[in-house]
Order: sequence, then C-alpha cells, then structure tokens
Amino acid sequence: MENRTSSCNNRLLALFLLWTTALGLVGCSTSASSKYFGRTSPPSDNVLRYVTGSEPETLDPQLPDGQPEARIFMALYEGLVEYGPKDQQPIPALAKSWEISPKVDEFIFHLRQDAKWSDGKPITANDFVYSLRRGFSPETTSRTAGLGYAIKYSEDFNGEKVFIKKDGRFLTEADLEPTPAKPSTPFGPETEFRKFMQSPTRLTIYGDEKKRTKVLDGDEKLKALVQGAEFVPIEGKDIGVEAIDDYTLRITLKQSAPYFLGLFAHQFFRLVPQHAIEKHGKDWTRPENIVTNGPFKIKEYRPYDRLIVERDPNYWDAKNVHLDRIDFYPVEENSTILNLYKAGSIDAFLNHTVPSSWINEVRQYKDEYLDFPEAATAYYSMNTTKPPFDNVKVRRAFLLGLDREALSKFRKITQPLYGKVPQGSFPDYAKAAAKVGEEIRNEKGIAADAWEKRYKFDPETARKLLTEAGFPVVKNGDQFECPTFPVDRLAINFNTNENNKSVAEFLQAQWKRNLGVTVPLKTMEFKTYLPFFKSLQYEGFAQFLWSGDYMDPYTFLSLQYGKDNEGAAGFYDPKYDKLLDDANVELDAQKRYELMARAEEYLMEQLPMIPLTVNATNWMKKPYVKGMYPNPGTLLPWKFVYIERNPAKWDKDVANIMNVPDAQVDQQLADLVSTQKAAQK
Amino acid sequence: MSEEVSTQKPTSLWRDAWRRLLKNKLAVFGLCVLVFMVVAVIVGPYIVKAATGFSYDTMPTDGNLARSMPPSLQHPMGTDDAGRDLLARVLQGGRISLMVGIISTLVSLLIGVSYGAIAGYLGGFIDNVMMRIVDIFYSIPYILIVIVLLAVFGGPSTPEWIKWLSTNIGGAGNQGLSQIFLLFFALGLVSWLTMARVVRGQVLTLKNQEFVLAAKATGVSTFGIIFRHLIPNTLGPVIVYATLTIPSVMLTEAFLSFLGLGVQPPYASWGSLAADGIKNLAIFPWQLIAPGVTMALTLFSLNFLGDGLRDALDPQTRKF
Amino acid sequence: MLSFIIRRTLIIIPMALIVVTLTWGLVRLAPGNFYTGEKKLPAAIEANIKKKYGLDQPWYTQYGMMMSNIIRGDFGDSVKYQGQSVNEIITRHLPYSATIGILGYLLALLIGLSAGTFAALKQNSSFDYGSMSLAMLGLSVPNFVLGPLLVLVFSFWLYWLPPARWGGIAGLILPVCTLAAIYAAYIARLTRAGMLEVLRSDYIRTARAKGLDEKTVLFRHALRGGLVPVLSFTGPALAALLAGTVVVEKVFAIPGLGNIFIQSVFNRDEPLILGIVAFLSILIMVFNLIVDVCYGFLDPRIRYE
Repeated sequence: MENRTSSCNNRLLALFLLWTTALGLVGCSTSASSKYFGRTSPPSDNVLRYVTGSEPETLDPQLPDGQPEARIFMALYEGLVEYGPKDQQPIPALAKSWEISPKVDEFIFHLRQDAKWSDGKPITANDFVYSLRRGFSPETTSRTAGLGYAIKYSEDFNGEKVFIKKDGRFLTEADLEPTPAKPSTPFGPETEFRKFMQSPTRLTIYGDEKKRTKVLDGDEKLKALVQGAEFVPIEGKDIGVEAIDDYTLRITLKQSAPYFLGLFAHQFFRLVPQHAIEKHGKDWTRPENIVTNGPFKIKEYRPYDRLIVERDPNYWDAKNVHLDRIDFYPVEENSTILNLYKAGSIDAFLNHTVPSSWINEVRQYKDEYLDFPEAATAYYSMNTTKPPFDNVKVRRAFLLGLDREALSKFRKITQPLYGKVPQGSFPDYAKAAAKVGEEIRNEKGIAADAWEKRYKFDPETARKLLTEAGFPVVKNGDQFECPTFPVDRLAINFNTNENNKSVAEFLQAQWKRNLGVTVPLKTMEFKTYLPFFKSLQYEGFAQFLWSGDYMDPYTFLSLQYGKDNEGAAGFYDPKYDKLLDDANVELDAQKRYELMARAEEYLMEQLPMIPLTVNATNWMKKPYVKGMYPNPGTLLPWKFVYIERNPAKWDKDVANIMNVPDAQVDQQLADLVSTQKAAQK
Repeated sequence: MSEEVSTQKPTSLWRDAWRRLLKNKLAVFGLCVLVFMVVAVIVGPYIVKAATGFSYDTMPTDGNLARSMPPSLQHPMGTDDAGRDLLARVLQGGRISLMVGIISTLVSLLIGVSYGAIAGYLGGFIDNVMMRIVDIFYSIPYILIVIVLLAVFGGPSTPEWIKWLSTNIGGAGNQGLSQIFLLFFALGLVSWLTMARVVRGQVLTLKNQEFVLAAKATGVSTFGIIFRHLIPNTLGPVIVYATLTIPSVMLTEAFLSFLGLGVQPPYASWGSLAADGIKNLAIFPWQLIAPGVTMALTLFSLNFLGDGLRDALDPQTRKF
Repeated sequence: MLSFIIRRTLIIIPMALIVVTLTWGLVRLAPGNFYTGEKKLPAAIEANIKKKYGLDQPWYTQYGMMMSNIIRGDFGDSVKYQGQSVNEIITRHLPYSATIGILGYLLALLIGLSAGTFAALKQNSSFDYGSMSLAMLGLSVPNFVLGPLLVLVFSFWLYWLPPARWGGIAGLILPVCTLAAIYAAYIARLTRAGMLEVLRSDYIRTARAKGLDEKTVLFRHALRGGLVPVLSFTGPALAALLAGTVVVEKVFAIPGLGNIFIQSVFNRDEPLILGIVAFLSILIMVFNLIVDVCYGFLDPRIRYE
C-alpha cells in the first residue's frame, strides 16, 4: 500500500513534469530578433541553393505546366526570348533581334550565329522549326500547347484535323461563308511557305471519322460541301513556323495577337534537341542522354532530392553567367523550407512560401523578405446556372457584403482586388482603364464618389440588394438574419492547399455578419476539387486562383471568354466575347487597352465571379544573393544572379530593390537589349 | 480473506472488476479526467458562448483583429491565426476528436473481435481465408480509401443515415459535419484489422487450454465457446488494444488533418488544431500547447484507465 | 510446418493481384485524373492524352492490359513523372524509407523491449511508472508535432543537427528518433503486458519451481511467451511504418517511398500507385507470414495443421 501511494505520486509527478516542459517551451521559444533571419553567410562555393517547390515532372520543357519546372527550365533551356529579370518583359535570348508585322500576326526573329547546344552542336532556325512541330504534335501530348494555338494551323495539327481537298483545290473558309479577301502586306522575304500562310485560311475538320460525322450531322451546309472531298491530314510542316534561312525564323499567327511576343519566353517555346530526341526516344531527358542549350547544364540529378546544374561553357553568353552551380532542392512543406532557410542550408526559395501567420515575424527582416504584387489573382466563381446565383443582384450583394480591405489585412500579404485584372502589374492598362471608367461614368451620369465606391464594401446596399432579390435580411438584436436564403444547398468550395482554408473561413464570417447568411464550407483534395469545380457540379462559390500565362491583361480577361471557359461559373456572354475580339484586332496598344477596359467593366457588371485579392510574391532570399528580383511571376533569369561576398554590398531594405541600381545587372541587361535596340533603328 | 469471500454471495466478474478499478487511484484519476473532458466538450461550448460570446467559428471581421493573440482573461487559451478563441475551438475540437476515437474504436471492436475470434477458433481453411482477407485489406492504402469515401459519399451524395447521425449526435446537420462522420467510419473500417489479428493470436493460444476443451466436451456450441468462453478471456489484451486504438485513431485523424484530408473547416479537431499550431510553434506556441496538452492529457487518462481496467478485468490477476 | 510455409508463399501472388485490382477500382472511383490541373485543358489536348494512355478504350480492355502487364512484372511508366518507369522509381526511393524505417524500428525495439521487460519485472516500481508514463507521452504526441519540436530544439536552439534533407548520419538522427518514439512506446507497453501475463502463468511457476535460475527463466521461457503480442504488432507496424514515414519524410524532406506514394495518390498516378501497392502488399504479406511462423516457434501452444 505504501509503495502504491508513492508510485502514484511518481506518476502525478511525471504528469506535472509534462505540463511544465510544455510551458517551458513557451518561455524559451520567442527568441530575440537579430538583423537576419537565421544563419546568414554566403556558401563557400560560387553556388546558389534554391528550393523551387515540388519535384519536376520531367526535364522535357514542352510537357509540364508547373511553375517549379518553369524555373528549372530557365536554367537548362533557352528560347527566342527570355523573361527580363525585373519586369518579366521579353529580352533577347537566342534571337538577338526581331521584327513584328504591323498587324502583329507575323514575327521574324534573327538568331545568334554563335549559339550552341551543350554538346557543341550549333543551333539554327531549323531547331526551332523542329521544336514547335514537336510541341504541337498530338503524340507529344504537351499540356501547354494550347498557349500557342494562335500560330496558324497549330491547333488543327494538335487536334488531328485534316484539310479538305475537293476538285484539286483546298476548301477555304470563304467557301463556307464568303468573306472579302484580306490583302497581304509584304513582311520579310517572300517565300512559297509565306504564300501558303497568307493564302485564305483553309477549312479544317476532324480526321477521326466518328467525330467528323458528328460535326457534319449538325451542319448541313458543311456536309454538302464536304461530299466527295478528299481529306489531307494536317502535318507539322503546315503550321506557321518557317526557317527562312539558318538564322532567320518566321512565325505566322492566324490572327493578330499583340500579347504573343511575351509568350515566346514560356517553357513550351524553348528549344528541344532534335538529335538527342531522335537518338534516345523518351529516354532523352535522362542525365546521361540529355542535351540542353541554356546557361546551365545538368551535373547531377537525384529525383526528389536534388537537381544540380553547372555553368555550360558552350552557352553563347557563358562569360556572363556568374554562378558556377545552382542546386535545386525539391521541398514541398512550407515550414520545412523555412527551417532550411533559417539554418542557412538554402539561399532563397520559391514564391508563396511564408505561411501567413509568420508574415509579421518575417517581415522584420527587411533585407530578406520580398513582398511584391504578382500577376496572380484569387477569385470566387459563382455558379450562375443555378439559383439563387443566377440573379445578378444576389451576386452583387455578396460582392458588396465583403470587406476586401479587411481580407487583405487579414492575409497580411495581399492587396484587395476590385476588378478582373490585377492592379499594379500593368501600369499602362491601369491608365487606360481609368480613362474608360471616366467615360462610362459620364455616359451614365453617376457621381464621382459613388462611381469610385461601386465595387467596394457597402453592407447596407448589399442587404438591400439581397432583400430585393427575394431574400429579406432582417435585423435581430445586433445581428442580421436572412432566414430564407437557401444555405443548406450552397457551399463555399475550395481545395485543401495552404491558406485557402483561412480565406474561406474569413469570408464565411464576413457574410455571416454583414448579410446574416452562413454559407457552409467544403474543402476537397486538389484533384477531387478540380473536376467538381470545372464541370459546374458545385452550388454557391468556388475558389479560383489564376496566375497569368504572359504579361498582358488578356490572360485574365480571357478567363470568361467563350463557351465552357476557364472561369467555370456557367457564364457565357457573346457581348463580352465581342468586346474582347474587338480589342484584340486593335493595333494601337493604348486603344486596345481601352477596349479591353470596356470589356472588363462589362464583366464586372455581369459579375460571374467575386474578385478577392492580388497575390504577393511572398518569398525570401539571403542578402548576399544579388541580381534576383521579385518579378510578377517569380520567373528568374538565372544568369543575372550572383553571390556577393562583401557584406557592405549586400542587399538592404529589399522593399526598394526594384529601384536600387546594380551596376553589374544593369550593364548586363543593357548589353543584351542593345542588339534589339540597334535592329529597331 | 478467502473465508470472508466464501461466506458472501458470489460477486459477478464485473462487480468485482469495478471494485478493483476503484482501488486503483490512477485509473480513477484517468476516469475522472475523461468524464470531465466528456462533460466539458458537451456543455463547455455553451458555457464559453454564454460567458464570453465566442464560439468556435466567431472570427473578428476586422482584418486587423483577425490574428494570433496570446492567452489573456478574454481568451484563456489565446486565439488562433484567424483571431478565433482557442478555448472554444479546443472544446469543439474535443467533441470531434473524442467521437473519432470512440466511434472508430467501437466499429473496430465490433468487427475485429468477433472476426479474429472466429478465425482463430475455427482454424484451418476458414482461418486461412479470413486472415488472407485481412491481409488484402491491410495492403490497400487507407489514404486511397479515405479519398474515395470522402469524394464519392461526400457532399450531396452523403448517405441518409450518416446525415442522420451527424444531425443527431453532432448537433448540427450540414455537409461539413457529415464528412466528419464519414471519416469516423472510414477510420473504423481500417482499424479493425489489427484488432482482428490480435484477438486471433490470443485465441490461438487459448483454444488448446483445458477450459475450452472442457466446454467442448460438455457440448457447448461453437458459437457459445467463442462468445462465452474465448472472448471474455481475451478481454485483457483487447482492452489494452482498444486503449491503444483510441489514441492511434485520433492520431490517424490528426495525420489526415496534416495532409489536409481531415475535418472540414471551420470545425476543428485536436489533431487539426495541433497540425495548425505546429506551423507556428516558434512564434505562437500557445496554438500548439492548448490543443496539444489537452489531447495529451486525454490520451494519458485513457491509457491509465485502460491499464486499470486491464488489471481489474484480467481473471488471472485474481490468483494473486 | 514446411507445407504451411509453402502454401502461404504460393498464395501471396494471387492475393497481391486481388489487392491491385481493388486499388485499381478505387483509383478509378476517385475523381480527377493525372492530367487535371489548375488550368483547363483544351479538348484536343485531353483527347491526345487519353489516346496516348489508352484511356479512350473501354474499362475492361484497360483493366486487361494493365493486368497482363503487371503479371509480366512490368508496371509501365509513371504518368506524372514521364519517362521514369515505376520499377525504377520504387528501387530508387525504397532505400531511403527502408533506412529510416528499419533504423527507427530497431531503435524502437531496443528501447521498447528493454523498457517493457524491466517494467514488468519490477512491476509498480518507480522505473515501471516512469517508463510507462514516458511511453504514454510517446503515444500521445503525433509525429508531425514531435518532428518539428526536435528540429526546434536540436537545430535552432542547440544548432547541433541539420533541420531537414537527406545527407550524412547527422541528418538521420532526427528523423529516426521521431519515427522510433511512437513505436517504442507501443512496444514497451505491449512487452510489459505480455510479460506480466507470462510471468504469472503456470509454466513459469513450474520453471521456477524446478529451481531454474532467474536468468534462464526470463530469457528461455518468459521472454519467448511475452514477445507474442509484440510479434503480432510487428507485422502491421511495418505496414504502418509507411504512413509513419510519410510524415517524417515530409517534415524532413527525405526522398522516401512513403512520401512518393502519398503524392502518387494525390497525383492520381495510376501505374505508380499500383506498382507501390503491389510491392508493399507483397512485402506486408511476407512479413505477416514470417510473424506467423515465429508464433509457432515462440509459443509452443500454437500449432499449424
């Protein structure tokens, strides 16, 4: 009995110890802040250790669509142009200069003559022709090929379509619907291929018989026309890519696309090695077989552990590549990435990585934390095909009943988004939008302050709108209630990825307070969520993040373009499509922006989605890493990056990093851009 | 002592066990903590709501206030990163965590014990087939089962009886909670396997003992032998296992939360609160400590109680 | 005994095929596909992908093709990580998981068995209570909490060990300890319970009565019987180690098979899922077979007909 009591005390003592240890942790954990976040000393080698996110799917640049891969491809492969380090605008890469046709539907690129593959083989225009034909080939199954569909016949080639040959000639669109022939303006040398490209657009139809019959059965006129015709499969040689000579490349689009130049830096348009692919087949991306053409080449690849690239001496600009090596580490867990950074095991990491609860802490390290607006936005789509969100008043009520300023403060790193296009990324567009807004305001005769506030937080109007829509909001004590609103059918849907949860919870609380409506939350694993969202199975709201594919407002505005569009709100409005079409044939950049701003204003009136926030870059780099800038897509041209060993020259107060001149980077950039500048003169 | 007992009317096994249990101070302590926890998670949220006005999903709509605040009089356990009262969340999370532990363990007990006992006793071909089925189930990754269950039966296609359960036991019937109930059953369906193996192993060692042979000889039916003679004799290890299953199921739920597959927000469980808290360990430690210590204390008590029950129930200990 | 082992070995392959079939069904039931991404794919591209992977065929054709390939031991290429074969991925990443898994389990056995045995021998002593309280603490702390706690202490307060990533023995210490903690706790409790049971049994008393010395009684008789519960735990535990290593691999960024498996489920990378499941199911069944055989050796009361 004695023994029992004392051991009982022992157990209680153990319990007590547990509690005190736990409490002790509280006491010790808040450490004093120092100038830098954790260990800060440059690596002994001339190397950058970078976490780029998840493991790359493959090293073939034409296949994956992810950002982690995009950054790795920027080290390994080069295309016609490269993203600029600060603004992501195209700068010369393998093309030393280019010309653009007045209608922006043809590009001529003048290639460097000293560019080589990593195995020493020279790079010519034929490599580009091969790469693009391969990219659009149905067998490649590139997921990003859709970005290049503006290139003439590329979509038809990718979709395994055929030309229709009847009576010895190819049928054209004019056969179906007479249109005045467009005069061709001369641009570059006149060749047989250009004649083909400039000839009237040929009619195309599915090569697959089942699909073709389906289309023809729905179109009597076309069926009659096709009767007895011969089908000629569209091949790679038919797409609008032409090697005029070894060092001149012409790309022809099916329509003018003023945003297209910036796209050429995308991974899909980077060069792939014909000789290696033909020799090794699908194994060409193995480290022992791979041939690259970027500033770096593969040194060591251990999947899920490390991808080490080293400076490629065969690279045409190798003397301006400052790092000897980049070590890419695939790490997904954000807190693990921060731990590695804090321990000094890595020098920088990818965007969106600092958890929001850490922001206030990390923000103190002014020399390291990069918080810049991104060309990326968060929306909530609403399913407009099902009540009550088929009513624009309800949609508007939920927009106005939401304090987006508060949301941004809550998220700490975002700015409220009041339109479709993120403000901050496109200054010229913003000017045009302001001008158009003023015009529309005058047309409608709305007071300036009311106009200014039209999409901003206004709970009173929101409640009024909801009441008007048939869901009366009543005041009960100090709370609002909206008993008739069918919340049991609706949900705020989102996927389980980081931070989405807290945003949804915040919106739920906001609408509960301002409208008296508590919409349930529903979270799903990523791949479960996407089809649920895209096929409009959801009712209520669905979270939707979009990062721009290229630096033009069109990448955001096109989300609601056409039937079955990305926005997945069941929204399709020919009027909106028309406005965007009009904008894209406009050749004057500023006028085009104005037309687009009109489209945006129209879209905001229809409101198929609630714009929430403009994302922030939200990443860190050690102060000794220089030449690395928080551009809007966190796409970093690696050859500008260098390690500064002199602490006096380290980056300070990086909030201002875009304006601080860096003689080395500025000179390097100026030298690169000079070839294009000279050509323009 | 033995003479006294023999003069009294014979005590039943359970009454006897209960008496023994009460003698074990730690088990009683564990029992008290558990009862306190159960009562706290049932009535606690209402008390907190009445006293402070906070419920588990009350979030300041002012963006500046929606942030982590350390423990204070207003928020005894501090707030989470969205400015919600952690005490209210821990209490609500306790409901879910305890339900996860108890329901899933009950499911696993129900299936596992009878399955294991039948397999072990019948032996031979039937045992072989039954254990191979267990092996097959073992080899199917439960993550996949959970994803499919949540995706196929979640949302609008949730079976009615799950909705009924979540409405009547969970207290609020909506999509979020029915998902949690789906999770209970998914976890239960996964965790009976170990129980079955353990019981089978136990029965294998018991079935050649004299008392079973005696029962067989006196013509007790197979069903009777399994459920009247064998299962009661496996109770010791079964209870130890059940007390291990409850925490392990709660930990599995926490693991799923860590992967983002657990409870639906704004609901929380101790596991999901801890998973959130661990990210902020170095800056807002209370976010881990509040749910973590509560969970640890509960699991501690469960284990103490399990040990006590084992000592009390194990018929062999009565020999000493 | 030998025929028992042969029979059980022969049945492993058909059972693995059943597991693969069920898993295949589950993957097909799960929404989403390996190519679903944040951005919508044009219909033409989706059709190209379906054609390339045979997804445009009826399901029974697809199933037949998959099975005939698997029976020939070819799991094909991962559809997410293009150009890498499933067999290659498994052989490449298994060693990482196996290293931390086996080291972790060995450490757990070492700690758990000795603590459990001593606790049982000295029942109700302060060592008993101390070690069992510690074991309970081990059981009550999820490893995704324990891992970061250890990192905080050993990487950021003491600066002794690296916080994450594979490399060197120093990098192994934290993951292995994190993994071992919970298993050590389980094993300690099971050993103690099993040993108490055995120490009270008749045959131990007989052994003692025969005048055998305590050491012989303990190691030749008691430990053998006391290990039975630990053994029946070991089979499933090795299976569960996979899930255990997932957290540790995530927290410490180790390129192990566990994390890759979870990712493959999230990626809907069907060939990789099936390959890993088939591999693991065979592994688990072999472990269970070994466990069952060991039962027979450890506990003479169990007989296999």
